[in-house]
Amino acid sequence: MKLTGSQAAIESLLHENVTVIFGYPGGAIMPIYDALYDYTHSKKIRHILVRHEQGAGHAAEGWGRITGEPGVVFATSGPGATNLVTALGDAMMDTVPMVCITGQVNSAVIGTDAFQEADVIGVTAPVTKWSYQITQVEEIPFVFKKAFHIARTGRPGPVLIDITKDAQLASFDFEYPTEIKLKSYNPTTQPHMGQIKLAAELLNNSKRPLILAGHGIHISKAHKALFDLAQAADIPVALTLHGLSSFPNDHRLYAGFLGMHGNYGPNVLSNKADVVLAVGMRFDDRVTGRVVDYLKDAKIIHIDIDPAELNKIIHVEAPIVADAKPALQELLNHIKKQKHTQWVEEFHKCNAIEKTKIWDNDCNPKKGPIKMAEAVTRISEATNGNALVVSDVGQHQMIVARYFKFKLPNSFYSSGGMGTMGYGLPAAMGVKTAAPDKEVISISGDGGFQMNIQELGTIAQEHMPIKIVILNNGFLGMVRQWQQLFFDKRYSMVHMQSPDFIAVAKAYGIKGMKVKKREDLAGGISKMLQSKGPFVLEISVEQEDNVFPMVATGASVSDIRLE
Amino acid sequence: MKNYYTIIAFTENTPGVLYRIADLFLRRKINIESLTVSEVKNEDQSRFTIVVFAEPDLVEKIGKQLYRIIEVVKVIDSVDTDLVAREIALLKVSANKLEQRKEIEHLVSISSFVRIIEVKKNYLILEKTGTEKDINDFYELMKPYGIKEFVQSGRIAVFNT
Repeated sequence: MKLTGSQAAIESLLHENVTVIFGYPGGAIMPIYDALYDYTHSKKIRHILVRHEQGAGHAAEGWGRITGEPGVVFATSGPGATNLVTALGDAMMDTVPMVCITGQVNSAVIGTDAFQEADVIGVTAPVTKWSYQITQVEEIPFVFKKAFHIARTGRPGPVLIDITKDAQLASFDFEYPTEIKLKSYNPTTQPHMGQIKLAAELLNNSKRPLILAGHGIHISKAHKALFDLAQAADIPVALTLHGLSSFPNDHRLYAGFLGMHGNYGPNVLSNKADVVLAVGMRFDDRVTGRVVDYLKDAKIIHIDIDPAELNKIIHVEAPIVADAKPALQELLNHIKKQKHTQWVEEFHKCNAIEKTKIWDNDCNPKKGPIKMAEAVTRISEATNGNALVVSDVGQHQMIVARYFKFKLPNSFYSSGGMGTMGYGLPAAMGVKTAAPDKEVISISGDGGFQMNIQELGTIAQEHMPIKIVILNNGFLGMVRQWQQLFFDKRYSMVHMQSPDFIAVAKAYGIKGMKVKKREDLAGGISKMLQSKGPFVLEISVEQEDNVFPMVATGASVSDIRLE
Repeated sequence: MKNYYTIIAFTENTPGVLYRIADLFLRRKINIESLTVSEVKNEDQSRFTIVVFAEPDLVEKIGKQLYRIIEVVKVIDSVDTDLVAREIALLKVSANKLEQRKEIEHLVSISSFVRIIEVKKNYLILEKTGTEKDINDFYELMKPYGIKEFVQSGRIAVFNT
């Protein structure tokens, strides 16, 4: 089949079962957009025009996280490509499959500082799993095949293909490869049996075992395997930020949310565990607190598909390089059925302490302004937890992570490793596009919302019925909280004046409502949920509300503060 | 404790690999003492020989992180005792007077792995191969005569096992 490079690029996407592209056209990618004209008109593929390339990147991340398949982005050369860097970095840190296709200036003028030329491969190398610049049209099929293979296998990640304009315009005989085998890239997915036996022995002899589960559970679709293992060996399960919704939060073995603003129980008790099974998580500093004090007395089993994660932060007795699902399933075959009733109760006791000290007042205050936790709890109750929730970054993110009662597996999406403010709204576009039948709720703060507020335009144009919640406290809340606690309340550049968000939404043709009083909260939430189209619900919350518990930077998780 | 390590990495022979490898060392703030890249015969692969001075723990970690680079096929880190390693140096040594010239020629004849590759009116160009230490020693030996120019390659090494 004789095709131009541009047609070949889109045909390659179709071979990879891509149905949606998030993108923004420009000079160096115009031949591809010209070819796209035919494919979108014949409805073979859908293109969503974003308002900023960063928005396309985060939308593709949302798509990648819910489907497990790479989200696809088109952007032009120069600024189009450099605008993707934050989203690429975010996807790299948070292990999200994504394929970005950027136009590049003509190969004859590369290196001459041509108009809209940027060294995209150079700029993006540290934030991509793999990248390649196509200058010859014949390279397109194999490079696309390789890109998708790399993005979706092993430890998933973002991949970038840069295509020069002349390669887009040239013609060749197109044939898409059916298989790919790379000499240098063969991720190990099956666990080593010797290591499994070693891990099983550690768990079988443990009195106080603890499971720390992360994003890998979702990526590997290991929810049942995790549940079965925890159940059989009676092991409490604590979850990282990205691990949330991988284990039922109403189960007696649910130990809670780990980390700096996580639950009291899993933080204080992790240092009392004698054996820790960490799976699909990477001992981020937000989880470990001061590393020298972390899991000091525990023997650690670590399952991860990326060998570089094993022994990276802490020493591990039983490192297991594998995909989480087969590793957990195999482990189950070697596990003795046990009961750790007393140990499990210790978590329940901690929960009770946290409930009295924090939850009750945060979620159900009787007077004063609306609290963030209260708003999130009411949304959680109103949806019965049956929603896909996308958060931005900051105080509200920790509040959502703490208080939303996720019912669906893999239903919480947030920027963890990079902590990218502005992630939430565009990521929700990707989630909603991939799951149009599910309720998708984007929850942001007033700061982060304004970092990608322009995507309201995309949401309006594409009629995406996303429910958009803004928890407005008039501050960059998390920074303000730190300034209050660690910088003598010297509030430096954290007070933020915002526009009338409802008027902004209205200008985009999106309905909205502002809630200031407690008695209007339930009504506002129900109006939002009943709305057929997109809806912006702005909730004015307590200005100087703090997120607790908190493990201060440099402190041990055992020293978690409840107030 | 810090030590010299030779990291030998086999990679696909494609552009951009050097960039990614260098970036990894930059992120970990490990200075590359020497670097040699050569083609592996009949394999379409490159062989990176990277010498670093670093803590053993960090060398192990960077070895694993190198595998994250898609094009990296195999990484082996080793200490000097596992290797036979050589470098090559070129020295342009002043030799204005006959007496000097004779002395240098004599030293070259009784030294190992040194040869004269250019003879000019005012200078000699010498080629010395050996370990870093051999080359340093020879440099010191020639220093009194006046070294006008000196250049040394990175290390190449094969496993002695």
